[in-house]
Amino acid sequence: MSTQSHTARQAELKRQSSGRLMIFGFLSPTLAILLFMVAYPIFSLVYYSFFNFSALRQTTMKPIGLRNYEFLLSDPQLWERFVFTGKFVFICVTLQMLIGIFVGYQLQKNFKGRDIVFTALMMPMMLSPVVVGFLWRYMLNSEWGIVNFLLYSVGLPKVDWLGQANAALWAAAAADTWMWTPFIILLATAAFRGIPETIYEAAEVDGASPTYKFFRITLPMAAPVLFIALILRLIDSFKQYDLFVALTGGGPGTATETVSFAVAKTAFSYFYTGEASALAVILLVIIIGLSMILVRHLQKLGERY
Amino acid sequence: MSPSRTTTFDLVSRWLIFGLLAVYTLYNIGPVFWLVLSSFKSRMDLFAMPPKLFFTPDFSGYQSVFGVGAAANSASSVGVFDSLVNSIIVSVSGTTLAVAFGTLAGYVCSRFNFIGKGDFMFFVLSTRMLPPVAVLVFYHLMFARLGLADTRFGLTLVSIFANVGLATWIMKGFFDGVPKEVEQIAIVNGYTRMYAFTRLVLPMVKGGIAATAGFCFIFAWNEFAFASILTTTQAKTLPVKISAASGATGLEWTQICAAGVVLIIPVLIFFYLIRKHLLMGMTFGVLGRR
Repeated sequence: MSTQSHTARQAELKRQSSGRLMIFGFLSPTLAILLFMVAYPIFSLVYYSFFNFSALRQTTMKPIGLRNYEFLLSDPQLWERFVFTGKFVFICVTLQMLIGIFVGYQLQKNFKGRDIVFTALMMPMMLSPVVVGFLWRYMLNSEWGIVNFLLYSVGLPKVDWLGQANAALWAAAAADTWMWTPFIILLATAAFRGIPETIYEAAEVDGASPTYKFFRITLPMAAPVLFIALILRLIDSFKQYDLFVALTGGGPGTATETVSFAVAKTAFSYFYTGEASALAVILLVIIIGLSMILVRHLQKLGERY
Repeated sequence: MSPSRTTTFDLVSRWLIFGLLAVYTLYNIGPVFWLVLSSFKSRMDLFAMPPKLFFTPDFSGYQSVFGVGAAANSASSVGVFDSLVNSIIVSVSGTTLAVAFGTLAGYVCSRFNFIGKGDFMFFVLSTRMLPPVAVLVFYHLMFARLGLADTRFGLTLVSIFANVGLATWIMKGFFDGVPKEVEQIAIVNGYTRMYAFTRLVLPMVKGGIAATAGFCFIFAWNEFAFASILTTTQAKTLPVKISAASGATGLEWTQICAAGVVLIIPVLIFFYLIRKHLLMGMTFGVLGRR
């Protein structure tokens, strides 16, 4: 009796230790590469951000405490970049959510050729951001671009899209919206189709109007998924870099430099590595804050679905 | 108010909805159409005013992308074929390793509870959210020191790191869909956990692994920021080469458009193959699980 329970306990212990071995063994490749490629660089960035340091002169590193941060936070140019990035994020996310929810709502019904229409609509999202940037730069050329030609042929004035600060902001927003609205359509349609038909039937019995149904049933029921979509787009458009490299190159002047663009310019054009590190740390803090909101809601959703 | 009565308001709103959808479809499809059309235009036709819808197709853009014909040898050519090869090598090897690591980590996260699991999951996901330029400030130095700058190996390393987080989360989602009883029964019958994992659970998530690979490939294939800073000549990928494509008359639009079309073709194929799992991949394995 006692020997039996003894062997059972031994087997249990053996299973536990093999489980522990499995956890360790299976996680270590992922953990190793992430520690080497993420944790180590981030700690180094924080470290460098306290130094006056240039990648070009690696022998001279002068510790200067918080001076990089002081300089950055009192630099009006940095605030301009934050304001520009903020405007860009706001325009993009608003347009993408509105159009995405509208189109997604219309596409939730089953109709003939739905799969084909859907796949075709997803095409912009499949392109490389740098291709998207060049494509729009090509279409928005003030002299021979197709967009100005279309404006001209319906009697509207031509716009120097990439030559004026305000027009360039809208041009970038149009390109980003073009690329990412399909993503919102994809998520919104899925969220809308997940709402049980019986709820609508019950509402119809009570004589609810379509508007009432949309605002009181559809939107609230789809809200958790739409919220995830919103946060994802917030994060992605906030760190947008590739699109601006290809579309505007930050210009005209420095008018369309996002915060990401500023990090790259400080680090790889001016080689102010210490200052760039400090700016990267500021950018990271914002992104990590947004990611924490995202993860909390993802976990809640994971429990529900 | 019976639902069969159609008022003027209903009619107007129906046409309004239809009109808005039509405008959106044009905005959505138009540029893709224009990209494909332009990739077949000669330089003369590209800058023609009014823009041409009908023209004699010119294949020089595609010829230079694939490194064949007269265009590849001409002075204005930028030799994009090598960068296409780099793109294929880096994204295929990066995807393979990211999916392998992510599958292992995803399985453990789905089946075991361990200290710091929540933190680990957050850390893993946050790597997907990282702004590339932030870590690039340090990579730039690190890669130069370790001799990884401008090598395919270095880029593959970046590609693994950039995708392993996504792979872990998606694979966890797929493993969550496999009942825990599978392993329990195997263990009761005297098999090891490892046997249950490799022989029973893995075959059940084959489709999931393929879908995860599809996603990682698309991201690795289109990646630009890392590759643009960490390569100078030898290891340039196709998206980077596009951004550097410039001839005597400025950007060679035909080549850019042709390269854009070439870039989208594998993505289209993968998209089609993984269309059922699209939602899962886009929401880190949280939604669209069945």
